Amino acid sequence: MAVRILLVDDHPIVRQGLRTLLEGRPGWEVVGEASDGIEALDKVEDLQPDVVVLDVTMPRMNGLEACRLIQQKRKTSLEVLFVTQHDSPQMMREALDAGARGYVVKSNAARDLLEAVEAVSQHRVFTALARGPHASC
Amino acid sequence: MKLRILLADDHEIVRRGLCSLLQKREGWEVCGEASDGREAVDMAKQLKPDVVIVDIGMPYLNGLDTTRQLLQLDPNFKVIVLTITDSDQVIREALDAGARGFVLKSDAARDLVAAVEALQSKRMFFTPRVNDLVLAGFLEKGHAISRNEPPDLPTLTAREREVTQLLAEGKSSKEVAVLLNLSTKTVETHRSNIMRKLSLHSIRDLVVYAIKNNIIQIQMPPQLRPSETTVA
Repeated sequence: MAVRILLVDDHPIVRQGLRTLLEGRPGWEVVGEASDGIEALDKVEDLQPDVVVLDVTMPRMNGLEACRLIQQKRKTSLEVLFVTQHDSPQMMREALDAGARGYVVKSNAARDLLEAVEAVSQHRVFTALARGPHASC
Repeated sequence: MKLRILLADDHEIVRRGLCSLLQKREGWEVCGEASDGREAVDMAKQLKPDVVIVDIGMPYLNGLDTTRQLLQLDPNFKVIVLTITDSDQVIREALDAGARGFVLKSDAARDLVAAVEALQSKRMFFTPRVNDLVLAGFLEKGHAISRNEPPDLPTLTAREREVTQLLAEGKSSKEVAVLLNLSTKTVETHRSNIMRKLSLHSIRDLVVYAIKNNIIQIQMPPQLRPSETTVA
């Protein structure tokens, strides 16, 4: 299934790592990158991705705030997946409350990200703290 | 002959990004990847890389102590420290540990290739912030920041710093003993010496000391970051 992905993280080297991982999957395309929440909102509007892979801690506008605004303005069936350093159930709850469909810890992104993108692109919930993944409908 | 680079970062996704960046350069090769400082030291012993790139905030052995151990093994190792912060204290500690390059993670995509090139040419590479600090130190004291300057705090041995990090990461004395291949009794002795030297009275005090002195790093949630602003 073709999936169009927008990457949002303030560290270009992390975006590069995510891109190499995601573009290894046939049919998946990274259509754009943003380095903070404000830029992400513009890119969502312009590029209409299927999945936004979003960091939590970023300058100017953090990922939680960006996620809430994306949910308010979204016109398509776009889904948000957080990839973050915060290995915390509380932060995961906040992310899901903000409207995200998925939550992956950065230290395990190489293990969990592909499965997470696949799940959220099919509108299923995928959450994984460092202990291990959990997917549900 | 290829320039051989060893990468040490606990995040595989960051290592992927770094690999992708560095291997675009003809004649450069990432000869190994380590996910913590102890693994980096072991791999460096075996692989003898030309350049080692170490993240500061790694588990088991942080990047600063990794740098110290690498240079103790072989003073010719060329180490670039990758960090998320360029606070004065971190810069001073990185210089003191013997790093020859200092690159902010946020600028790695821009600066890292230049840093490796500099070390390849037997030069050092620092961000403008580090250059300012070194210059300020030179002007204030009449000399550059000395690598032999006595620390303000009681000095821990390399082994005590390793034990401090592992205890602060929440490991028990028994777990530390297994990781460092020591007896539990030896670890308990190190622990007592650390607490006595630093005048600490609990593990909580030790964790605070470890955070304040960059032995471990914590990630603050965005709600607790005072400098961060959000736009509604």
